Amino acid sequence: MNGSIPILRIGEILVASVQTELRDRVANAFQEDVLNTLETTGATGLVIDISGLEVVDTYVARVLAETGQMAKLMGASTVLVGMRPEIAATLIRMAYPMGGIDTALNLQEGLALFGRRKKKKK
Amino acid sequence: MDHRKYMKILKLDEAELRSRRAFFELTEADLARLASLRPFAEKVTDDTVEEFYRLLLSHPETKKFFPDELTVRRVKRTQREYFLGLFAGRCDLAYMEDRLRVGAIHEQIGLATKWYLGAYRKYLSIIKKHLIAEIGDPEEVRSAFESIQKLVYFDVALACDTYLAAKLDALERHQAAIRELSTPVIRVYDRVLLLPLVGAIDSHRANQVMDSVLTQVGQTQAKVIIIDIAGVPVVDTRVADSLIKTTAAVRLLGAETILTGITAQVARTIVQLGVDVSAMHTLSRLADGIELALSLVGKAVQPAETKKRRRRKRSEAEER
Repeated sequence: MNGSIPILRIGEILVASVQTELRDRVANAFQEDVLNTLETTGATGLVIDISGLEVVDTYVARVLAETGQMAKLMGASTVLVGMRPEIAATLIRMAYPMGGIDTALNLQEGLALFGRRKKKKK
Repeated sequence: MDHRKYMKILKLDEAELRSRRAFFELTEADLARLASLRPFAEKVTDDTVEEFYRLLLSHPETKKFFPDELTVRRVKRTQREYFLGLFAGRCDLAYMEDRLRVGAIHEQIGLATKWYLGAYRKYLSIIKKHLIAEIGDPEEVRSAFESIQKLVYFDVALACDTYLAAKLDALERHQAAIRELSTPVIRVYDRVLLLPLVGAIDSHRANQVMDSVLTQVGQTQAKVIIIDIAGVPVVDTRVADSLIKTTAAVRLLGAETILTGITAQVARTIVQLGVDVSAMHTLSRLADGIELALSLVGKAVQPAETKKRRRRKRSEAEER
C-alpha cells in the first residue's frame, strides 16, 4: 500500500473511507490500492465512503467512477456513499452524473445494499 | 421599523454624509449662517408652525392624519423642534439619523411622499415670508434663504430615502418569503420527503429547487423524495431537463426521486419533446407516489382491519 487512504476488509466487502482531500496523485494511488486489494482478497463488494470529501473536481470524480467500472471487471460491485449535497450539485452542473456507479446515503446503507443482494442471490 | 436599520440599508456613513453635503453645496459657512439665524428662528417658530398646520388641517387628505386636538398639539410641538433644528448649525451623522427617524415616522403612518414634499414647499414659502419681514435687506434675505434651502433639500432627500428604504426592506422580506414558499420541502414520512411545485419554473427557480432538495436530502438522510408537478402550468424541455438533473444529483447522494402529478398533457409534451425521463419513477397521482415511496423505505399501505373484514376472515377460516 502506498496511498494514505486505508482500505478495510469486512468479510467479502472492502470499505474505503476517504477522509483527506483527494489530489490527483492521491486519487491515482487510491485507485491502484483498491484494485490491488481486490486482486489479493477476491472481495465481491466495494464501498467508498466520501462523506469526508469537501471538494470533488471532474478528474477525481472520473477516477472514482472508473474505479467502480474496473472493480466490476474484477467481479466486484461498487457503492459510493455519503456524497455531500454541494458536491452532487456541482457534479451535475458540470454535466458529470457519474453513471454506472451505485450510490447510497451513508456507509450503513451502502453495506446494507450488499446484504440485500446476497439474499437475492440465495 | 427602526430607523437605524434604514441607516444601514441606505449605507449612511461619514463618507456618504460628506458626499451628500458636497453635492448639496452645504458648507460650514451655510451652517454658521443658519446658526446665526437662530434668534430669528426662535422668534418666528410659533407663527411658522401655526401657518404650516393651517394648510395641513385644511386639506382633506392630510387632515385625516390628525384625528384629534391632542395629536395636533403633539405634532406641533415636534414641528417646533424640527424647525429650530434647522438653525442648530450642524449637519452630522446624528443629524442625519434624527432626520431619518422623522422620515420613518411619516412613512409608518402612511403619509404619501406627495404630501410630504408638498408640505416642504409650504415650509419654504413661510420661511421666506418671515425672512423678508424680519430681515429686510434683500441680499441678506437671499443668502439666508439659500442656506435654509440647502439644508431643507438635504432633509427632503433623506426623507425620500426613508420611504425608499422602507419599500426596499418590505420587498426584500417578500422575496425571502417567496423564495421559501417556492420550494417547500415537507417530510411526509420517516425518510420520505415531498416537494410540491406550484407555479412556473424558470432557470433560477430550477436551481433553487435542486439546491433545496439536495440540502434537505443531505440533512434528513431521506431515502426518497417525491416531486409533485401537478401545480406547474407548463412543462417544457427546460423544466424537464432541470428535473432530470435534480434526479441525477439526488441519485449521487444515494436517494431516489419520484415524479408525480404528471397529467395527460404533460405526458404528451414529454414524449413529443423526446425527453428521456427513464431515470426517474414517474406516476400521475401523488397518492401512488406516496405508496411507492413507502415501499422503497420498506413500508406498505394496506387497508385497515375493520370489524366486518375480521369477521369475514374468521368465517373463511372456519369454512376451511
